[in-house]
Amino acid sequence: MADIVTITIDGQDFQVPAGTNLVDAAKMLGTDIPVFCYHPKMEPVGMCRMCLVELGSISVNRETGEPDLDENGEPVVRWFPKLQTACTQKTYEGMVIRTTTEKVVAGRDDILEFILTSHPLDCPVCDKGGECPLQNLTMAYGPGQSRFVFTDKLNLDKHVPLGELIYLDRERCIQCARCVRFCDELVGDDVLAFHERGRRLQIVTISDPPFDTKFSGNTTDICPVGALTTTDFRFGARPWELDEVPTICPYCPVGCNLSASTRLDRDTGGKKIIKRIMPRQNEEVNEIWICDKGRFGHHHSRSTERILHPMIRKGDELVTVDWATAYAEVAARLKKYGDRTGFVAGPALSNEDLWELRKLTRLVGEQRQRGLWPATMSGIEAIAQAGAGVGTRVQDMGPGGAILVIASDFEEEAPIWWLQVKQAADRGVKVVVANARGTKLDKYAAATMPYAYGDAVAVMNGLAARARSRKKIARSLVESRVDGMDALIDSLKGVKVPHPEAADLLLDADDLLIFAGGEGLTLAQHGELMQAAANLLILTAHVGRPNNGLVAVWPGANVQGAMDMGFSAETTAALLDDPPPMWFIAEADPAGEDVRAAEVIANAECVVVTSLFMTETAQQADIILPGQSFAERDGTFTNGMRRVQRFYTAQGPIGDSLPDWKIFAHIGRQMGGDQPRISTGLVMREITEKVFRYADMGYPNLARVEKQFPDVGGDDLYYGGTAYTNTGGLGVQWKTNAEHEQHRLTVRPVNVDSFAADGLQLIPVRVLYDRGMWFRVSDVMDQRVPAPYVELNEADAAGLGIADGEQIAVVLGERTVEVRARVNGKTPAGYALLPMRLSDAPTLTVPAAGVVQKIEE
Amino acid sequence: MLADKYADRIEEIFAKYPDKRSGIMDLLYLAQEEYGWLSEDALREVAALCDVDPTQAQSIAGFYTMFSEKPKGKYWLQVCTDLPCALRGADQFYRELCEYLGVEDGGTTGDGLFTVEQVMCLAACDRAPMLQCNFHYYENLDMETIKALIEQWRARALEEVPEPGE
Ligand code: SF4
Ligand code: SF4
Ligand code: FES
Ligand code: FES
Repeated sequence: MADIVTITIDGQDFQVPAGTNLVDAAKMLGTDIPVFCYHPKMEPVGMCRMCLVELGSISVNRETGEPDLDENGEPVVRWFPKLQTACTQKTYEGMVIRTTTEKVVAGRDDILEFILTSHPLDCPVCDKGGECPLQNLTMAYGPGQSRFVFTDKLNLDKHVPLGELIYLDRERCIQCARCVRFCDELVGDDVLAFHERGRRLQIVTISDPPFDTKFSGNTTDICPVGALTTTDFRFGARPWELDEVPTICPYCPVGCNLSASTRLDRDTGGKKIIKRIMPRQNEEVNEIWICDKGRFGHHHSRSTERILHPMIRKGDELVTVDWATAYAEVAARLKKYGDRTGFVAGPALSNEDLWELRKLTRLVGEQRQRGLWPATMSGIEAIAQAGAGVGTRVQDMGPGGAILVIASDFEEEAPIWWLQVKQAADRGVKVVVANARGTKLDKYAAATMPYAYGDAVAVMNGLAARARSRKKIARSLVESRVDGMDALIDSLKGVKVPHPEAADLLLDADDLLIFAGGEGLTLAQHGELMQAAANLLILTAHVGRPNNGLVAVWPGANVQGAMDMGFSAETTAALLDDPPPMWFIAEADPAGEDVRAAEVIANAECVVVTSLFMTETAQQADIILPGQSFAERDGTFTNGMRRVQRFYTAQGPIGDSLPDWKIFAHIGRQMGGDQPRISTGLVMREITEKVFRYADMGYPNLARVEKQFPDVGGDDLYYGGTAYTNTGGLGVQWKTNAEHEQHRLTVRPVNVDSFAADGLQLIPVRVLYDRGMWFRVSDVMDQRVPAPYVELNEADAAGLGIADGEQIAVVLGERTVEVRARVNGKTPAGYALLPMRLSDAPTLTVPAAGVVQKIEE
Repeated sequence: MLADKYADRIEEIFAKYPDKRSGIMDLLYLAQEEYGWLSEDALREVAALCDVDPTQAQSIAGFYTMFSEKPKGKYWLQVCTDLPCALRGADQFYRELCEYLGVEDGGTTGDGLFTVEQVMCLAACDRAPMLQCNFHYYENLDMETIKALIEQWRARALEEVPEPGE
């Protein structure tokens, strides 16, 4: 803990930790010091001079160490002769500042007048107008009138595309460098920079593609003027017309809190639609950042390609029917096939949807085959035991902590976690990256643990072996409540430790957090990897407390919730091995993503889907039920750190669509189930009664908010940018077994067999910008979605006579897909990396042996 | 390509610094020397050599006035017209020079040989009027001397004699 010091602000004494940034300290104590360039998430630079204050120190007698007193017995303050920038000051004992004196007021006045010399009078047409720090601070502190001649203003370009997503208005830029510093310092993508100097200073980018970062949208939030705007929103609406609805990103396991800015819109015949997506502050989750996928990927909520009505296949035709007919028909089929029905839940159904689907599976028969899509990762038991401790915040971790990221292309799979871990590395957290190929995180890692595909489990097991041989086993925990120790310890004897030095970085840390992805692992191997991680964490007592434990980089926004509600990837795998005649597929597109699933579904007797779009799977379906996007309904998602978070209804339904939970409940009713609940809140209440881990997840609890730092939104726009204050709830994390004192923990030896590789192995990899069923319709992002490709090692490519950039064929069983070859020296030899969901044809979701060849003429 | 043509020089440059990124100024000079100015392609080339984003190369080229991001004549005449020089008649000198070459302020002659430009103090105030031509100083100038120099340069350029500095 830092020392506590006494500072005086405008005559009042306060106790604060030494070394706190003065602007932050003042803010927390209720005094606003206006800023433009300073941002509480970034290092100060002192560029704009807006934060001027009078600064002094209490004069101390060198001999006695006592403050010098004046004739009235008051301490003597030695003032700096000139105003000082508060943002570059850190608190110290005896610091005295004045923020309201005439001198300060005049200083701010001058700075604003100066900044405005070249600022255009754009407010009436500026996107930022109404939520603009410059506008607000000018109203509050500005001179009211300028002495500068209007015609002397510098006229600069107004519509400069920094890439296709962000536009720059050069006249509006006040050269605060927040955007540059965000990219450079926080993200590490140094793709924005200043050009020229003095009055001509301008923001430029010539990266390829321009403004090449996955986080570009955030610069528009923290830009204190309307200089940076998004293509998606610019000139779309005025901020004061917008209605903010708290929501959650439906794409990845980070579970970023979003705010949907909605408005009644002409384009939709006066109906409410999402005009833009903004970050909503949740310091426990995404802080004030979101990635560009979350920001720009909302267009599926109102796409014209949406399915509008329930449909039933009659011969070759799909016939539109009403809901009652559809329910009756689905119920009839379910009765007919009974237990011979495989249920598959998509990766972003809400917990309420999943609960109702679960209830439906119970009405259908005894088997309750509850599968999950994509079927790539498992290990919920490992999470239940050793999941990251409640209250884990990567942003709190310091040099005593360590983070292992294994089997994940982290930035592609969970961008905001990547950003947080990257920043943790900058702060001295020991970040270790283990993967079979290089990823972007390597550059920031303290060490890497390269391995061959298939050996991830062995690497993790090696860490446990190292813990054993270095006597790092936490006796007290292990002896009091861990089962299976002896067998595990036995199995670790003589196990090779692949990277002892990197291992020791992890084992010597006070806190250890593990992020485990699924790249290059079969489903069974992934389960073992998760158990191996749990073994290590339990053995070394890195469980049950914040910043310690295991996080799975699940392949979707609510895969955690699906597992919590009893759906599993293993079930899907079993269903694919031994296909039932009937499939009930909710908001997933197995046939569009995986060749094996496509085969099985094509041969099914009956397929029922709920879907937003005519996916490959929907095209095979006999009954199609239109579900709703995250925007049209409410519910909860559980993120990868087991935080259950609410999202709220942002807009009206498209066509006759209904939320999935209602659809399932109505079908259930036809099968003799309960009367459907009237709200998601009531569904959640039922969940809290039946699922013990969700006992605390009642809606009022989830909706709880508290004051967070930094302040964003409202009157404080200037301070943290235009991210939104959280009004929808911070969510609640469920406790792991490690956190329930009465629960025992189990470890067991793991199976470290790697797959017997014969010939080329195809490794499916995740890319953030893909052609997944929802994201593909957001055409603002089209240019960022790569054309389908496969990555090959030079040696392999040479052997096959394949050149870089050549269009080639990947043979997947009966089918072939054509993709572009990317030949490089980085891809491990013997493996071909095949991104998921880039092709229009199905590819692979789990590794398999495969053939890559030239296209025959 | 710089990498092929100047492999040794580039290696020497990198040898001076702990990381490649630090060699960027030297390489930008090299590129400017080679191409006469820094086009976006040249910036990309240098950035790739130094392993930084091209935007960083552009930013550096934009910050320093001795880098030019616009095509320049073969002879780049930078005349100081700052106050001390002006007191010794530099502004008058500059006007006449422009007139003699038949160009506007900052312009380039039609044959692509000369670019003129006003700059800030070059630390030769006591020897004004002065200019620098391709970063070499010419001091205590009057129109007589500069005309002679210009004709000399023009003649040299026509014979393809290497320019000053090489
Ligand atoms: S574009 Fe905005 S954030 Fe960037 S320097 Fe200009 S004013 Fe600051
Ligand atoms: S990081 Fe993940 S949850 Fe956050 S906005 Fe991006 S895709 Fe959505
Ligand atoms: S100088 Fe302090 S906020 Fe800009
Ligand atoms: S003012 Fe011209 S060289 Fe100094």
